[in-house]
Amino acid sequence: MTFVRQFAGLLRVNVLGLLERRSQALTLVLGVACAVGVLVSMLAMCVGARRHEMADVRTDRVVLMSVGAPDATQSSISKDQAASIGVLPDIRQAANHKPIAVAQLLVTMEARERSDGRRITFPLIGVTPGLRDLIPELHLTAGRMFTPGLNEMIASNLCARRFYGFNLGDKREIQGIDWVVVGRFDQGQGEEGCLVYADAGSAFAAFRRDSYNQVTVMLQSPKDYSDLQNAVAANPMLRVDAKRESQVIEEQYERFNGILFFTSYFVGTVMALGATLGAANSLYAIVDARRRELATLRAVGFRSGPIVASMLFEAELLAVLGALLGAALGRVFFNGLSASPFGFSFHLTVTLQLLVLGVAWALIIGLAAGLLPAVRAARMPVTAALRA
Amino acid sequence: MTGKYASLLWAGIFRKPGRTVLTVLQIVIAFGLFGVLQGLKSGVEIAIADARADLLDVRPKVGGSPLPLAYLDRIKALPGVKVVSLLNGFSATYQNPTQGLYTLAIDPNDKAWLTESPEIFKVSPASLNALAKSRTGALVSAELEKKYGWKIGDQIPLLSPTTLQENGSDVWTFNVVGTYTLHELGGSGGDMIVINNAYLDEARYQDRGTVQHFHVVTTDPRLAIAVADSIDHEFANSENETRTESYRESAQSQMQSIGDLNFTIRSIVGAVFMALLFSTATMTAQSIRERTVELAILKAVGFSDRAIFSLIAAESIVVWTVAAALGLLLATIAFPYAARMVPGISMPWVVVDIGLAIAVVIALASASIPALRAARLNVATALAGQ
Repeated sequence: MTFVRQFAGLLRVNVLGLLERRSQALTLVLGVACAVGVLVSMLAMCVGARRHEMADVRTDRVVLMSVGAPDATQSSISKDQAASIGVLPDIRQAANHKPIAVAQLLVTMEARERSDGRRITFPLIGVTPGLRDLIPELHLTAGRMFTPGLNEMIASNLCARRFYGFNLGDKREIQGIDWVVVGRFDQGQGEEGCLVYADAGSAFAAFRRDSYNQVTVMLQSPKDYSDLQNAVAANPMLRVDAKRESQVIEEQYERFNGILFFTSYFVGTVMALGATLGAANSLYAIVDARRRELATLRAVGFRSGPIVASMLFEAELLAVLGALLGAALGRVFFNGLSASPFGFSFHLTVTLQLLVLGVAWALIIGLAAGLLPAVRAARMPVTAALRA
Repeated sequence: MTGKYASLLWAGIFRKPGRTVLTVLQIVIAFGLFGVLQGLKSGVEIAIADARADLLDVRPKVGGSPLPLAYLDRIKALPGVKVVSLLNGFSATYQNPTQGLYTLAIDPNDKAWLTESPEIFKVSPASLNALAKSRTGALVSAELEKKYGWKIGDQIPLLSPTTLQENGSDVWTFNVVGTYTLHELGGSGGDMIVINNAYLDEARYQDRGTVQHFHVVTTDPRLAIAVADSIDHEFANSENETRTESYRESAQSQMQSIGDLNFTIRSIVGAVFMALLFSTATMTAQSIRERTVELAILKAVGFSDRAIFSLIAAESIVVWTVAAALGLLLATIAFPYAARMVPGISMPWVVVDIGLAIAVVIALASASIPALRAARLNVATALAGQ
């Protein structure tokens, strides 16, 4: 009971005294605010990037590539293999009773950025029939679909906005052959860079290729995935891996996400360490400034326990204040802002979980920084302090 | 006199050793972080600026189909072209499937390799000559000699499932005849041996008479863009279109992504230094308050206002520069680990210079107000007002 009474009394003294020691208190709050603000903003970038990547993932889409191929460009699927993938069980049928299995071949093409004239390369995707059944989120916004057998292509609106030469009717020359842009489309939320589709047959003829890079199929239901895997394994002719769309995208962005998360936690940890040292320094200074007061309190019978507890509580209070300030600043500056590291845009997303993480981070900083100064305050030698 | 000042300075810095150590550590961490982040940014900029503008790489515009060897003479005939070298090659493995190796095939009679393209590798005239004389010869690096215990005269059998010999065999055997040295920035990480293109082209089953890319050096770096365009134009509308890009251009596009992080890096470094500036300014102010009596005594025994100001400012500058130097040293040690994702960049010295300059500026900024207050201290009130 004494503990609680003493603790409450001390806490009141501490908090009221903060105004007098406002510069030290402010230093602590600002230090924690910077560390937590940077951590929360950087993690928000990670969350935003991931959300963007995964925006259009469907659990019933499965991608088939050569065994062990790290990405589509290094995978090769012959026409025969593609045909036998089409007749595997558990593949959903389109309205025309054909299985939704679209084989794709990728041909590198080049475009110039409107903003700075920079050249970038991206794949022209030659597809077999059924694209719109496979990707229902694809909506034509202008023009029409390409005609099989002709050198026609459709381009995403994002592509047309960012790069030259993707307006309706534009002719693009690839290896001496003209391709005409006949349609423009939007494709879901996660779209980035350039998406351009053409007829696989036309692409085969134009680029003297004889195999696809990958086949994407739509399952009757997401839980048929293991059945499909078994069917693939049972067919000795098929040397392919069947992976869920989410897994393919996960692998595609593994390195990018890894760098982003590592950098965030590395920078966040280093800054938290700095903030802890700064907070400890401020708290020591506060204890030093209160030498007489603390010695007097000890002389009149306040015990060490409540003193340590009240000092720690004060430290935590200031740290949490700092965390909230930091997260608020991060939110004001960064939330919803289109960041563009690594060349593509996504939105920073400050979520509730990130706020909670920031506060937890601050509590750890406050505890680590407050412990030693609090112990020193509780051990203040009464005689020495009063003599000074 | 200086000796007295030095001991006063020392006493001032270590008046509260615990607090000084904490401050120093705080500064060390801030500058360590600054060093790594700024080092990444400047390192990328330097790597781009160092990449040669006059060295062009000519590769197939559409991946997968190699370029005809006959392009070599057509490129050579274009205005502004100084030298053209061919580069060919295939991937293989040595002994077991996890020990990958790239065989780079060149024309050893092409003397441009001695002088014009140190970006790829450096080679002595003797080694190049030895390769020219040996059909199945190979040049290896010192790293490979160490890794596999190879020496000149050894035979090395390589396995290549993708590039077959005319007789259908996937085993290629080369004789080590000399050595080359990798350029420090050219290390793409993988192991490489250099072989004779004439032999590769004659012995392989597919793709005869083709090469993967050409290197072109222009007579004048300023002509690079025009020459690149005229090369691509020369082969436009053919079955094998080309895509020509200078080394600088490709360095730019490769490192663009890191450059895009500039805003983030600036925000972080800004936040770190703001917090630090505020924190140390508060600390110095409190330290001056605690030392009022001492400072008043110093003034009473004849120290001028200016001397007091200098003393306080000097304390701050010493602490900051020492701690900043430690932090930057730490950053230099940690840099190679942080820079793993960007091959070929090293910690630039300019970052250390900038760091130390920032340290002095912030030290002065954080100490000037408290130092001014100390200098203006009224001796009588300070001694009496306790």
